[in-house]
Amino acid sequence: MELQIRNVSKTYTKGRGGEVQALKNVTLTIPNGMYGLLGPNGAGKSTLMRILATLQEPDEGSVHLGNIDVVNQPEQVRQTLGYLPQEFGVYPKARAEELLDHFAILKGFSQRKSRREVVGALLQKVNLWDVRHQKLGGYSGGMRQRFGVAVALLGNPKLLIVDEPTAGLDPAERVRFLNLLSELGENSVVILSTHIVEDVSELCTRMAIINKGEILHEAEPLEAMNALHGRIWQKVIAKNELAQLEREHTIISTKLLGGRTVVHVYSEETPAMFDPVQPDLEDVYFSVMADHMMAGRVADSQGGQQNDQQANEA
Amino acid sequence: MRLNMKFREIFRYELAYQGRRPWPWLFMMVMVVFAFCATRIAIIPVTLPQDFILNSPFIITAVTVFSCQIWLLLAPAIAGEAAGRDVQTGMYPLLFTTPVGKAAYIVGRLLAALALNALILLGVQIGSLLAVYGPGANPDIVGPFRPMAYLAAYGFIGLSNALVATTFQFSATLFSGRPMASYLGSLILFFLSYPVTLTLYTSGLHEGALLADPIGIMAIMNEMMSNWTIVEKNVRMFTLEGAMLWNRLLWIGIALGTLSFIYLRFRFAHRTATYWLSWVTRWFTIKAPIASGTLSVGTLPVPYAPQTFGFTTNLRQTITMARSSFHLIATSPGGLFLLVAFPLLLTFMVLEGMQHWGVSLLPRTPYLLTKHLTGVLTSPSNYWVMVPLLIIYFSGELVWQERDARMSSNVDATPVPEWALLLGKLTGLGLVLAALMVIITIVGLTVQVIKGYHHVELLRYMQVLLGFKLVDYLLFATLAITIQAVVNQKYVGQLVALVVYMLMVFSSFIGIEHHLLVYASGPEWSLTDMRGFGQSVWPWLWFRLYWVAWAILLAVGARLLWVRGNDADLGRRLKTARLRYTRATAGVAVFAGGLVLLLGGFIFYNTNVLHEYVIDGEVTQRRADYERLYGKYEGIPQPTRVATNLNVDIYPKQRTATIQGSYRLVNRSAVPINAIHLEPAFYVKTRLSFDRQTRVVVADDKLGHFIYALDKPLRPGDSLTLSFEVKFESRGFRNDGLRSSGAGQGIVENGTYLTGEALPVIGYQPMRELWSAEDRRKYGLLRQVTLPPPGDIDPGVSAGAAATVNAIISTDGDETAVAPGALRRTWSKAGRRYFQYGSDVPINGRDVFFSANYAVHREQWTSPSVAGRAVDIQVYVHPGHKEHLERLLRSVRAALTYYSAQFGPYPYSFMQLVEQPGNFMGMGVDGSGVITGGEGFFQLDPQGNGFDAIFEIVAHEMGHQWWGVQLKPALAEGGGVISESLAWYSAMQLVKQVKGREALRRFMRIMREPEPWPPMRTGLPLLRAMDPWANYRKGPYAMYALSEYIGEARVNGALRTLITKKVSSLATTLDLYRELQTVTPDSLKPLLHDLFEVNATWSFDTRQATAKQTADDSWQVTFDVEAHKVVTDSAGVDSPKPVNQWVEIGVFAPARPGEQLGKPLYIQKHFIHSGKQKITVTLAQKPARGGIDPYNLLDWEEGDNIEEITL
Repeated sequence: MELQIRNVSKTYTKGRGGEVQALKNVTLTIPNGMYGLLGPNGAGKSTLMRILATLQEPDEGSVHLGNIDVVNQPEQVRQTLGYLPQEFGVYPKARAEELLDHFAILKGFSQRKSRREVVGALLQKVNLWDVRHQKLGGYSGGMRQRFGVAVALLGNPKLLIVDEPTAGLDPAERVRFLNLLSELGENSVVILSTHIVEDVSELCTRMAIINKGEILHEAEPLEAMNALHGRIWQKVIAKNELAQLEREHTIISTKLLGGRTVVHVYSEETPAMFDPVQPDLEDVYFSVMADHMMAGRVADSQGGQQNDQQANEA
Repeated sequence: MRLNMKFREIFRYELAYQGRRPWPWLFMMVMVVFAFCATRIAIIPVTLPQDFILNSPFIITAVTVFSCQIWLLLAPAIAGEAAGRDVQTGMYPLLFTTPVGKAAYIVGRLLAALALNALILLGVQIGSLLAVYGPGANPDIVGPFRPMAYLAAYGFIGLSNALVATTFQFSATLFSGRPMASYLGSLILFFLSYPVTLTLYTSGLHEGALLADPIGIMAIMNEMMSNWTIVEKNVRMFTLEGAMLWNRLLWIGIALGTLSFIYLRFRFAHRTATYWLSWVTRWFTIKAPIASGTLSVGTLPVPYAPQTFGFTTNLRQTITMARSSFHLIATSPGGLFLLVAFPLLLTFMVLEGMQHWGVSLLPRTPYLLTKHLTGVLTSPSNYWVMVPLLIIYFSGELVWQERDARMSSNVDATPVPEWALLLGKLTGLGLVLAALMVIITIVGLTVQVIKGYHHVELLRYMQVLLGFKLVDYLLFATLAITIQAVVNQKYVGQLVALVVYMLMVFSSFIGIEHHLLVYASGPEWSLTDMRGFGQSVWPWLWFRLYWVAWAILLAVGARLLWVRGNDADLGRRLKTARLRYTRATAGVAVFAGGLVLLLGGFIFYNTNVLHEYVIDGEVTQRRADYERLYGKYEGIPQPTRVATNLNVDIYPKQRTATIQGSYRLVNRSAVPINAIHLEPAFYVKTRLSFDRQTRVVVADDKLGHFIYALDKPLRPGDSLTLSFEVKFESRGFRNDGLRSSGAGQGIVENGTYLTGEALPVIGYQPMRELWSAEDRRKYGLLRQVTLPPPGDIDPGVSAGAAATVNAIISTDGDETAVAPGALRRTWSKAGRRYFQYGSDVPINGRDVFFSANYAVHREQWTSPSVAGRAVDIQVYVHPGHKEHLERLLRSVRAALTYYSAQFGPYPYSFMQLVEQPGNFMGMGVDGSGVITGGEGFFQLDPQGNGFDAIFEIVAHEMGHQWWGVQLKPALAEGGGVISESLAWYSAMQLVKQVKGREALRRFMRIMREPEPWPPMRTGLPLLRAMDPWANYRKGPYAMYALSEYIGEARVNGALRTLITKKVSSLATTLDLYRELQTVTPDSLKPLLHDLFEVNATWSFDTRQATAKQTADDSWQVTFDVEAHKVVTDSAGVDSPKPVNQWVEIGVFAPARPGEQLGKPLYIQKHFIHSGKQKITVTLAQKPARGGIDPYNLLDWEEGDNIEEITL
């Protein structure tokens, strides 16, 4: 099974006649396995995820899961879909087991006995078994998130969409959560959208970087990192030196470390006074973003003010 | 200072925020339209006087208070938003952590909501003004512009209600943290203001009712409707005084108190999702510590389980949605109100309501079901209006269930078809309603058990509640859910649903009368002990099937437009709808559409082809045409009917009947008659023929007037015979069901009731003219004086002549048939039973015919005074309704004896008492010797020697055999005094005669109840009386007082003279007054004047009563009394008058058990003057209590006349 996204665009109308293009001509082919969708806030990730989850229709373009036309045959997709929204609530008065059972029926588990087993196993899997009789209103954020995972995992979905699942989880919860995801079989398309680079680097075999509605880069993390080999350089500087450095080099990221600033630059040659570093996925992400920003700056100087404003709004 | 700034900002921001939303403006628009229509079309359910002014303070006030009730249901979202938005949106952590104080926050938000509501209610006055000064208003009924009237209505009613209701709605939301809680707060206020208040009022707790109403409808309407004269209604300004003032103070107090409580309880704190009943349930649940369990990773493999996606799965999904929907509603505050609190209150209200005139009613199942336990969806006249209102509220909650919990993404991404979601929610709501119906059954059974009634008819409950009622509610639930699904904005959805419901209720006011056009409407079923459901099930069923087909279409629409996912704009939804319009959906839609056409066609065939369909407007038009075309024939000489011969054949099973008969007509006038005017009834087929040559000159079927020219004129004194055949045919059903005409008329098994109105009448009938002033103006007819004053009646106008009757009536073999007259003969032939009734003494009134499986009681009454005069007493009742037959007969016998002796002999040879099929409570006189009582009357269940309403009511109806039947009132002012007052006066005398003064006192206490007719001090004096209080209460009181002053024998003698004098002409109050003057000594003429010619009100008060023993057998009693008299004119202006007259002083021995007053020791008239005075009397026994006017002869308010005597 393969997910084919072809030329998908989506524009939101805002008040006072303004428009925001959330997705611009997105084309992706996503095979079985874990696929990371990496991008900053407001990049269009959630819009794309909702379109894949049949909750929104694109203005243009098509999405196919195997032979299923996702846009026009939503009911077929839903039969094999798992979706963990970026943000969701629970019925505060409901109990975990009873609500999961409710979802199981909605997902088509019609045999009572086997459904009970699945619900029980999932609750154990997400470690909510001990609290299955408690009201969801009393759950912590992590517990709710795990409950959402249980709902999404019901029925071994062929297409699993998890939208920014680790945002707001504490480190331990995050580890648990990633472990859960990693267990998913290779037979499903799993799309993980996130703005946290580690999520992708730890889990995904393939990834795409998205910003302002456009796919900037599509790659396998390892390959992408290898491609940068020998081109990322680092230097520890004082804060006030940054402006000077910015004029001379292509800075892709800055990081604070013990009060001093660690700067990563992209350079095909060896710059003076810099140390080479082994590129990680973060370097890939930031270099792609930096690349795009520069392209954008060029475009700005040509296209004038309007584009800039639009970008800000996005 | 800074607090002030923050408060201002909170107020301003809230006002601006909601002001930009659509709903405040929508609410305001609805108020404008409602007030406009209410003023113009006068939806206000009042019988307005003829001379009303469109912009009178009365109308402005009434429209305002009714609009407030609508506003209450419409606009709770304003307060809900203001109080609950922060918690709902989750923004509260940002706000609660700012240094804004609790006071500034709550007061600012509350005042903003109040300001918005005040603005919305301003729409009422705008609508009211537009109705008067906008285009299309009738300038004839517009009075001077009085800005104060609008300001008073807005200020005293609009603003005070805004304050009360907004505070409640706000408190409810603040308490629960949910904006929708304000709707529930509003519904509870509405529940108090309408059903509860009404129930309290009708069960006699008047003061309680006036105070219990948070909107003030009862306090205002009761005060203004019954206590203001027509003149006052047009000119008097509304101010806060009396009951209304107390009502306002109480409710503003309660509102502010509630707010203070909530204010003290409210914290700027994290809102944990606690169950609203947690303070109860926490005592019963053991809370396990929440184990977060983040350490280990569950490694158990998830076992394989099959998933299926067929139709069965979808059904299962529907069921699970239904279950969770039911759970959501049933455990919510609104659900618990409906399923627990409402039934409990209902039990109380039904028990309270199961009495009439202070006499307990037998809780028979059909009566309980029709009167108390069900309500008509489209004509909400009691507490059952709560069900559709709650359905609207629940629909919003259900459709928005997932989105409100922010779980819609999770649910929408599951493989559930939209129809399963929709059907599941609808089924869930249906289950709630079914549960309600089961609970209502339990309420009914509980009431029956408490009342000691053990005839359980569970099947009837099931048929009515789970059959008829549930279907109606399900239809409405489908509509409400569809509206919420399509509108897709919760508040606007509620608004639209409410407006649609109001349109359904008020459809006839906007000219839509056909039940094919008003959703979920149709003829109602009926259920009585005698008739069962009769044939009423069938029209009900056809209409409901038709609406079920529509409901399926609605549901298909809801499914197509159901919002799923994040695309909610209409274009997208329409696109999605096309995608969802599958072959199966199309199939369902086509099937339902076909059913709509098929059933609609069948119904239309019945209502409009088999029957003529006439809307109200057309009826008015026809009545106007009738008067215009044939009014010139009013009063022209026509022959008089002197004998009637009838052959009535009733076929209850076939629902048909035939009447063959003839009239003997005599020319009693002084001139020859050339043409005979005949009017057959509309709802039967009539064939006419004369025994001499005639020519049809006019045959107007539509207006119902026929003129037959006689070839040879009918000379004075000559007679002719008119023969006719009248056929009742069974032809399908009409828009209003099966009844062919009139209340309760119909031919059905065990319950046939026909009236002589089906027979042709002779001459132009002024009764058929339009009487409403507004209608007459519209059709350009001359203005009619409502009723002429008694002096305007030509004393020579002859009474409608009575005729002898001979009727043979036949029916099916298992039923008994009744026609007017003494029963002469019965026989059976060919499986049918025949009865011959007749009267050789001419009788008048309308003829009534019955056929049912009656229990028959017959006895002879022989006159003790006139030798050989015997009366055939016949009683026909349902076999199960014989409990109090003896009480009824006792009254009949006593009345015949006493009235014959006092007012002149009973002239007829028969006296029939017939139970008329139908649940109505009343009893009435149909004509000479015929009294009929509804099935409801036979539910009266007097206990032992307590107050026996049966005796009193039958005594009153028997009185009508003299007053109304023998002495006939002219159609003039005071006509009611001639019939009703004298009939009640007779009943009072009979009670005193047969049962004594103590029983009379008990009877008077019931008469003095302000329900149904509260005392009126204003209005016209008795001689010109028109209002029911004067006819039914003041008249008898005045007659009785007179009899106690000048002697019973004299008054009764005067009445007897009146009958003999007016044997062949109509009587007015002036005739009565003349006779009374003749028998009144000059010394008492002023009293007679005060009682009849003016509105005099006496008030006597015993301030203190003391006694001391002066000798062994002598007691001296001293009373401090106060006396006043006031004469009130028709505009309500009081002028005090001196008393100066003889008034009774009474002293009584201690009361024995069961007595209200003790044995009278001293009753003497003393001369009393105005103001305070001392009265001293000496008696030989130890007194217990006493006072002035102890029997309330002149002071008609019981209470302060008699005091305990202190020794």
